[in-house]
Amino acid sequence: MAVITVEHLRKAYGRVVAVADVSFEVEAGEIFGILGPNGAGKTTMVECIQSLRNPDGGTIRVLGLDPMTQAAVLRQRIGSQLQDAALPGRLRVGEAIELFAAFAERPVDCEELLSRWRLEDQRGQAFDSLSGGQRQRLFLALAFVNSPEVVFLDELTQGLDPQARRATWELIEEIRQRGTTVVLVTHFMDEAEHLCDRVAVVDAGTLIACDTPQGLIDGLGLPSIVRFSTCEPDVAWLEKLDVVDSITRHGDAIEVRGTGPVLALVASELVAHGIVPLDLRVDRPTVEDAFLTLTGKAIRA
Amino acid sequence: MSTMDGYLAMTRTEFRLFRREPFAVVFVLAFPLMMMVLLAAVFGNNHADAEKMQNGMLIWRGVTPANYYTAASVAGIVAALGLITLPINLAGYRERGILRRFHASSVSASILVSSQLTLALVTFVTGTIVMAAVAWLAYNAMLPKDPVGVLVALLAGTACFGAIGLLLATAIQTSRSAQGIGLLLFFSVWLISGTAPPRAVLPAGLRAAGGVLPLTHLVTAVQNPWFGFGWSGTDLAVLAIYAVAAGVPALMLFRWD
Repeated sequence: MAVITVEHLRKAYGRVVAVADVSFEVEAGEIFGILGPNGAGKTTMVECIQSLRNPDGGTIRVLGLDPMTQAAVLRQRIGSQLQDAALPGRLRVGEAIELFAAFAERPVDCEELLSRWRLEDQRGQAFDSLSGGQRQRLFLALAFVNSPEVVFLDELTQGLDPQARRATWELIEEIRQRGTTVVLVTHFMDEAEHLCDRVAVVDAGTLIACDTPQGLIDGLGLPSIVRFSTCEPDVAWLEKLDVVDSITRHGDAIEVRGTGPVLALVASELVAHGIVPLDLRVDRPTVEDAFLTLTGKAIRA
Repeated sequence: MSTMDGYLAMTRTEFRLFRREPFAVVFVLAFPLMMMVLLAAVFGNNHADAEKMQNGMLIWRGVTPANYYTAASVAGIVAALGLITLPINLAGYRERGILRRFHASSVSASILVSSQLTLALVTFVTGTIVMAAVAWLAYNAMLPKDPVGVLVALLAGTACFGAIGLLLATAIQTSRSAQGIGLLLFFSVWLISGTAPPRAVLPAGLRAAGGVLPLTHLVTAVQNPWFGFGWSGTDLAVLAIYAVAAGVPALMLFRWD
């Protein structure tokens, strides 16, 4: 069942077209990623879906509601973690959560929220004195204060250190376990690959692909690269394998490119020839490779 | 959640923030108080002055200069908060993304504004009490003869200057420009609304210009009950008209980012 339906969404700022004719659906209970470089129109898209911005054209339905005309009802059922948001500098963490809970029809328990997002120690701390990571956790907590059915997380792990990122990813997976649909806007490839059930790749305001992370990679037929070292001078017999496309050699270092189960077939062939390299490994294509192939450019981090 | 819960939570928050940063409104309270002390010192509290005329008008509206300025300066507090503090605060909230955050979490513009105005009204009442006490101690000026009438005038003034401040906050992009524009507006209005020179001594053109300004009407609306002249229905009505004329477009055009 689709909880979000977007059809022919269009939004321009003056003559700059931010989103041009984008359509997609988000299924209940999935983590749906919107991946693209900065300025691709990702934030504008989710702002229209959250009724924070009025689109110029197209139709949007979220939980069966129209964000243009049913904004108030919709806001009670969705949670938002916004980019570039702030709170009054002297407002304390605990007070902020209580304040936002007062506007929720179905508020969650404030204590539970504080502990879930590891904010108990910051409870009495003013917003201005929080670190980037603590602010981010506070905004995540605020996104969940109204027991939302769908949450929108815009640049979820911006400004977090690697450890905090991992911890945040775990919390997001836990949230999905409980049936909440998550729309995740990101420009981090690893985040999209790790968290998302499906990813929409957006570039210059258009949707250029929408699939599972693996589907994106498979659909493009991107090669895996098997690497190992051997002093055996001739390994040309590996080319006889159907899965192998090419072999390159730099001294003892061999690189075998191919699609499909390259590693297993190459490994068994090597063993059959009495070669058992210690450093045999495979680099599988990643979402990043798929992204580069699709957009023809590297993401600007 | 009810609208009332939201209003109470937001108002409590605004009071907390105010308590933690009280000097943000020091100008609003201190400037009119300082002006009252200075102007009353210059013009005194002599009953002989009460009947002085100029341009066919009673200069001090039939009371002593010290009494005149005490009540007029209370109106000055309301104008300063509406024209300076409110637009700076709201534009700052918008600039920093605080309004976006509120908007996404079901905070309505009317709740946000009513909380700000509640805090403003409490500031005005406090400012009035301080003003009256200082004038009474320093110059033996009169205390308000009709405190309820003064309170009603303050309510009308809050609605009027709250609406104007909200409209300014909607029109002005940043809190820095709000500061510049607000100060300029405040001083231009303050100089010709009877808050600085009494209106009777102004040249006819300036007096006519001041006559349409809301601060002129707030000065009279506060002075009349303060001096025991009764409530001034016309001035209260003008303030109400200003409140609606500025408040309706301000709420309709309210921008969250």
